[in-house]
Amino acid sequence: MLTIKNIVKQYATHRALDDVSLQVEKGKIFGLLGPNGAGKTSLIRIITQITGPDSGEVLFNGERLNVEHISQIGYLPEERGLYKKMEIGEQVLYLAKLKGLSTTEATRRIRFWFEKLEMADWWKKKVEDLSKGMQQKVQFVATVLHQPELIILDEPFSGFDPVNADIIKNEILELNKAGATFIFSTHRMESVEELCDNIALIHRSKKILDGPVKEIREQYRNNTFWLEYEGDYNVENSNQLFEVLQAETVNGKTQLKIRIREEQTANQVLSALLPHVSINRLDEVIPTMNDIFIQKVTQQDQKP
Amino acid sequence: MNKILLIIQREYLSRVKKKSFIIMTLLTPLIVAGFYGLIIYFSIQGVKGTFNKVAVVNNNKSLTEKLQPTKNIGYAYVNQSLEAMKSSLKTTEYDYILYLPEFDISSPKGIQLIGTKQAGLSLSNRVSGDIEELIRTQKLKASGISQTDLDGLKTDVNIDTKKIGEAGKEEDSSAGASTIIGTAAGIFMFMFILLYGIQVMRGVIEEKTSRIIEIMISSVKPFQLMMGKIIGIALVGLTQFVLWIVLTASISTLAVSAFVGKDAIAQNTSVAIKAKDGTSISPAVNSPVDSPVLAMQKSLASLDLTKIILVFIFFFIGGYLFYSALYAAIGSAVDSETETQQFMMPVMMPLLVGYALSLSVVTNDPYGPIAFWLSMIPFTSPIAMVVRLPYGVPDWQLALSMLILVVGFIGTVWLASRIYRVGILMYGKKTSLKEMIKWFTYKN
Repeated sequence: MLTIKNIVKQYATHRALDDVSLQVEKGKIFGLLGPNGAGKTSLIRIITQITGPDSGEVLFNGERLNVEHISQIGYLPEERGLYKKMEIGEQVLYLAKLKGLSTTEATRRIRFWFEKLEMADWWKKKVEDLSKGMQQKVQFVATVLHQPELIILDEPFSGFDPVNADIIKNEILELNKAGATFIFSTHRMESVEELCDNIALIHRSKKILDGPVKEIREQYRNNTFWLEYEGDYNVENSNQLFEVLQAETVNGKTQLKIRIREEQTANQVLSALLPHVSINRLDEVIPTMNDIFIQKVTQQDQKP
Repeated sequence: MNKILLIIQREYLSRVKKKSFIIMTLLTPLIVAGFYGLIIYFSIQGVKGTFNKVAVVNNNKSLTEKLQPTKNIGYAYVNQSLEAMKSSLKTTEYDYILYLPEFDISSPKGIQLIGTKQAGLSLSNRVSGDIEELIRTQKLKASGISQTDLDGLKTDVNIDTKKIGEAGKEEDSSAGASTIIGTAAGIFMFMFILLYGIQVMRGVIEEKTSRIIEIMISSVKPFQLMMGKIIGIALVGLTQFVLWIVLTASISTLAVSAFVGKDAIAQNTSVAIKAKDGTSISPAVNSPVDSPVLAMQKSLASLDLTKIILVFIFFFIGGYLFYSALYAAIGSAVDSETETQQFMMPVMMPLLVGYALSLSVVTNDPYGPIAFWLSMIPFTSPIAMVVRLPYGVPDWQLALSMLILVVGFIGTVWLASRIYRVGILMYGKKTSLKEMIKWFTYKN
């Protein structure tokens, strides 16, 4: 769908993107992660043709990115706005026509979306009369109205209350099922785990990690488990089996976060403990994207 | 291309539909027409009001010459005593009695002007002037100068300003009308460029602060957005200008007819028609309504208003494009209107200088070197040229100035678009002029 090859973008004093390559597969939801100022927005601006790269190239369905592709991309920027004095309906119509839709087709689709998202009576309202969350809904409609193949959402959930965030999330999943490819740029890792198939982590202008979310999380497994049991046991005795990261005893129930040492297995831990205590649970902690994010970013920062 | 049209359409409609635009467009011609009508009304009323009939009671045997009726005062000699006239003044057609008692004509004393109302200053000045004239004639005759010699001494001086036109034929011209039209056009041009230039800047800042700019330029090129905005607002300006002209003209006609009545209209139009035919008209010889308004209309008719309006529109579009591109660049470089000050000055200065010099130097010496250069340099030519135009500008100068202006605005549009495309995406940074120059050199 979208192939980004060795993109370099240099601003006067700093390099916003340094040799970044990515692959976004068709029909997938792709998460573009990274701390503030990492270069995510610069990359998105190149994909949306707001700016051009200094070197490297972007391929859209195998073709070099060009003006024709504008109508196939929908972009919801993080810094979003609308013309304050314009009526909502008129405004969305204008944006849709700029993407190449005819007036009748655009009107039909706006009515459909306004109906769907319970905005039907907003047509004549002015933007300045809407709350921030309402404005975001309007912008979301404007982004997806021309049925783009690729939809780029920069922090799509910021500013939404949980109810509306859920509505939008479901719309995203529905559009994705219908075949649209998404690029998400976000800091909210829980939404990444929930929605994204693949991610790329950009830090200090470089890509430092990419791949399918599941694989990455698997890959970052580090033999950490939650262990809960009842009874008395001196964990010091199993020091060669595991290391205790966290411990807490409430009402005779002990909860431990342990890291099993290399060459050892969970089975060995169980057999060591079984004679002494009754086990309530033992489950593996698969690192969250949040953990991986923090781990990778701080790791990178410690490098000279 | 289609996208530019969409942008033009939005920029145009969103402004034309605004209440403030509609009110300004309708109200201004009403105000102008109102003033125009009032001026006509008062000048005509003024002319009518100063015509007085004066009964002359002459008791002076040595004044054998008689006061002749003038434009404003109808003197009539009566053979009644002063007392008889005084008592019957209200019932007669006369407004005043002029009493000339017995006096030595070298030192006139005891002359009285009696009326039911106190005579105004201008009337008594006129009467005393007429009497002085009368006594002078009397004295000259006494020293043996004949009536024919006296008539020969009297000369009416009426200066008709004419200029030799391009084709070598004489044209009627009027320095007064040229100055008025030129000054008005200059003021209009200055206001239009400034008002609509600033509208462009505001529009750009609005897009930037509302952050819609990113959505916009993910759909269109920055250049398309900038040009769409500039052209859309230019059309708003033209709409307003044309509506003003049409409305002012039609409302003025209505106002004139309401104030003056049909007679004056008939007279006015007949004068105007005659003037258009090119036949020279002696300034309405014995007409009681020989007002400055008619003189004004006559000289207005001698100017080629259509040409002036067309050239005005050309220079408005040219000058507006020239400056609005610079305003768009400024708008793109700042985050809010309060930050525009430092950039406004360099852009405002040439416009202000052009305005000030045009209204002083150019109107005094419309053919001098300063006038020439001001009307060539694109920074000042839109104003200077329309000020000069009513005085007559050689065609080659007009053409050259237009050409320079076209080249000039292509230059500023190009320059501005390079700053604009970088500026609109820069948030939260204070921009210096130095930085803007750096943006100029950025690659795409």
